[in-house]
Amino acid sequence: MIEYYQPQAGQNLAFADIDLGTPAVNSDTTVTMSVDGVEVTVPAGTSVLRAAALAGIQIPKLCASDNLESFGSCRLCAVQIEGRRGMPASCTTPAEEGMKVTTQNDKLATLRRNIMELYISDHPLDCLTCPANGNCELQDMAGVVGLREVRYGFSGDNHLDAEKDHSNPYFSFDPSKCIVCSRCVRACEEVQGTFALTIQGRGFESKVAAGQNEDFLASDCVSCGACVQTCPTSTLMEKSIIDQGQPDHSVVTTCAYCGVGCSFKAEMKGNQLVRMTPYKGGAANHGHSCVKGRFAFGYATHQDRLTTPMIRDSIDQPWKPVSWEDAIQFAADRIKGIQAKYGRESVGGITSSRCTNEETYLVQKLVRAAFGNNNTDTCARVCHSPTGYGLKTTLGESAGTQTFDSVMESDVIMVIGANPTDAHPVFGSLLRKRLRQGAKLIVADPRHIDLLKTPHLGEAIHLPLRPGTNVALVNAMGHVIVTENLENQAFIQNRCDTALYSKWREFIAQERNSPEASESITGVPAAQVRKAARVYAQKGNSAIYYGLGVTEHSQGSTMVMGIANLAMATGNIGRDGVGVNPLRGQNNVQGSCDMGSFPHELPGYQHVGVDELRKNFEQAWGVDIDNEPGLRIPNMFDAAIEGTFKGLYVQGEDIAQSDPNTQHVQKALSSLECLIVQDLFLNETAKYAHVLLPGSSFLEKDGTFTNAERRISRVRRVMPPVAGKQDWEVTQDLSNALGYPMNYGHPSEIMDEISRLTPTFTGVNYQRLEQLGSIQWPCNDDHPVGTPIMHVEDFPIGKGRFVLTEYVPTEERSTRRFPLLLTTGRILSQYNVGAQTRRTDNQIWHDEDVLELHPHDAEERGIRHGDWVGITSRAGDTVMRAVVSSRMQPGVVYTTFHHPGSGANVITTDNSDWATNCPEYKVTAVQVERVTQPSNWQQRHQEFDQQQRHFLNSTTAETGG
Amino acid sequence: MIYDKNQQLVKMINQIAVNNAYDDDLERAADAVASHVRKFWAKSMKQDIRSFAEAGGEGLNDIAKAAVNRI
Repeated sequence: MIEYYQPQAGQNLAFADIDLGTPAVNSDTTVTMSVDGVEVTVPAGTSVLRAAALAGIQIPKLCASDNLESFGSCRLCAVQIEGRRGMPASCTTPAEEGMKVTTQNDKLATLRRNIMELYISDHPLDCLTCPANGNCELQDMAGVVGLREVRYGFSGDNHLDAEKDHSNPYFSFDPSKCIVCSRCVRACEEVQGTFALTIQGRGFESKVAAGQNEDFLASDCVSCGACVQTCPTSTLMEKSIIDQGQPDHSVVTTCAYCGVGCSFKAEMKGNQLVRMTPYKGGAANHGHSCVKGRFAFGYATHQDRLTTPMIRDSIDQPWKPVSWEDAIQFAADRIKGIQAKYGRESVGGITSSRCTNEETYLVQKLVRAAFGNNNTDTCARVCHSPTGYGLKTTLGESAGTQTFDSVMESDVIMVIGANPTDAHPVFGSLLRKRLRQGAKLIVADPRHIDLLKTPHLGEAIHLPLRPGTNVALVNAMGHVIVTENLENQAFIQNRCDTALYSKWREFIAQERNSPEASESITGVPAAQVRKAARVYAQKGNSAIYYGLGVTEHSQGSTMVMGIANLAMATGNIGRDGVGVNPLRGQNNVQGSCDMGSFPHELPGYQHVGVDELRKNFEQAWGVDIDNEPGLRIPNMFDAAIEGTFKGLYVQGEDIAQSDPNTQHVQKALSSLECLIVQDLFLNETAKYAHVLLPGSSFLEKDGTFTNAERRISRVRRVMPPVAGKQDWEVTQDLSNALGYPMNYGHPSEIMDEISRLTPTFTGVNYQRLEQLGSIQWPCNDDHPVGTPIMHVEDFPIGKGRFVLTEYVPTEERSTRRFPLLLTTGRILSQYNVGAQTRRTDNQIWHDEDVLELHPHDAEERGIRHGDWVGITSRAGDTVMRAVVSSRMQPGVVYTTFHHPGSGANVITTDNSDWATNCPEYKVTAVQVERVTQPSNWQQRHQEFDQQQRHFLNSTTAETGG
Repeated sequence: MIYDKNQQLVKMINQIAVNNAYDDDLERAADAVASHVRKFWAKSMKQDIRSFAEAGGEGLNDIAKAAVNRI
């Protein structure tokens, strides 16, 4: 297979395409040995198999792979060692000083041929029609060892009639091809950490089984693909390969799902994507994947893709397909008309956290330079804006402090308001690996999340707090640390502003912040909080990972600062294994924030009000930039309803589904005179649009994404854009039509401009990205290859700043009318608003949003599993099916927002974080009752949806599109 | 929910105020709130809250009231 993109340097990348047989070993001492006369020096503890591979000598193997611990079952990797008897397996034999190894001679060749002969005596000889043909390790090894005959014949007992399992939508299991090497079982344990597979039976009866001998779909399998990836035969095989055959070329690119930012090889036939395989050279994922990135790419070629630009005068009219030129001109004329009539401030734009850095940069530049105002915002507003505010205030930079791999050095892992095994699965697997090695786990979450069910997890501390009481909990932990003298005084004295620290200490030590005082608020027993605080402060390297359960609250920013306070007080900043780590939701949330999407900040978090910073951009862009912040997304909605905001350009975001208080959003969107939507599909927002500009998927464009660990990775175009243009080209055209010239020939030119204007990006360019594979910013003269761990020497603001974090209860609380608290979240198989994953076979796992509630709350209301229930808040009401679950605590109910028709955000309110207006998705007071029909909103939504689909379909039918 | 633009702004600035009300020092709190609003609010929102305060400012808490004068 031809492989485009050959990395030129970098430790991660040198062996990205070679399986070295056994995992790397970290050791301070090295040993030197010789393999077939070639000298090689390796860390002590490295296997002979790996040492040989590093010396360029590939010893035949079947059961070994360098992402799995050595197993020694196939014996194909046998070698001879001078001075030793027999032929040991090189995968289980550690390299030793002075060892002399022979990998090939007549004796070894005979042994290997005999082994292969036994394997093949119970293996179908249908290579020509086998889907693994051309990419089969068993076939390769038969060739390498020179197998020419099978003396045992094929008539004896065998497994050739074993029943296939096609239950999983993405891969098939054909046990007749299985050689029982256990690689799949080990991958499920060691790489993914799910333990869904096992070897059942003994001897000849041994076979791979999913769960309790169920089919794959019914088992615990999470479809991460690790078993399929590692299978050396076609026993576990992608259905896309069975259907279409092996790919002929591949391109390394970056996944467009969550903030982990996994590297993948897009494996192609012509312009057709046939498989995505995780790339071992990817520093974020090291060759692992989840069901979304690995399998759920079918949306890119789904029939629902918009392929033609379209316009209309009002939203009760059918769409009119037009040329790109006409659509862009129509949009530009409308925007100019609105600004002439209502003023310069009456329009704005929303950048996408799913698009590339370069595209995001261009949209905010268009708003600031072509629209002439700062009304730009991004969906980070509704997820991690409090992270930006909180971390910048305390640590001086709006980003997480660590690299993902740092978790492997953690002794204590505290997870607050995050559900990594569902929302950040590949990092979740790494985390579980560390937990299996013995790291302590503390989880602060209203729900009993799956991480707490990690196999071989030691004792974990769960702090099941009431929604909305995060700050009370983090203060209580701070109180214990301070009053029990568990602080790291050396760190505080050297690295932090001691005056601010003293103030914080005085505040946090007050009795009202004690675990005993806050127990009635949080619902968490004081003894548990004390225990958690002691473990966090005393057990070595402690790291905090947090998600939207921290930020999406009325005190989201306060909580982020509370977390930073804890980390500073205990000295858990500035080295491997520690830190404050926001787990970002979407693929490029970090990037969209970095790129100046917020209304108050230019790229690189440079405030618009600071003259000397703004001047750089004014000079480079040749325009005056407003020195006042613009409107944030919720402010735009308010202004639209008020009648002062009339035009909006939305790139790759579905605010009508993802933003809270849907009816308010719908009213705002209906008030606009020009809504320009650029998206892959007719999403909920597009139904209110006047201009539809077809978007391009990540497979159709060049650019970069920045993941949760600040890692900038290349996105590479593998197929032409469905509608002819990459997203950045469309923004450029719109800008030109508005009269502000943009003339970029390639996204690399946009990145060059970004690096000229952003101090933390000065060393970033496409050439260096090709060399290094990826770069973690800051990357500049001080850090030429990037910065995996931040704040090692000092903070960007000099000293770390403790902030007083007074607990202020949210106004949203349970009442007699709304006695339950609703909190919302995500599920593994679906992604955000589901626009992508709902158009794939991932639907099989979650085809509707459901309401989870505790058996006690269900019984009180006469609700049984599967009943339709109405959920009512002060904002609205909707209907979903009930799932009775003891994962919930009494009084708290939970749902997801992946399906537009379920209307989860019809219920969520306009409450928001005090500092950033990030919505309070995680706390809504509701009542739940049994019902028999959809809510009024759902009925209206269905009618509107049908009408808008009709407007689209009648148009595309006419044009044959 | 009935929407009222000014009530929304009042809610926002009151919320900023209670989250910056440390030590019950009204002066310092008002400075912090004013600084926050200057840094993060759009021009139109600042104008609106000023006009609202000048017209009586009903519903603004003490810190917010003091802060509006300093924006």
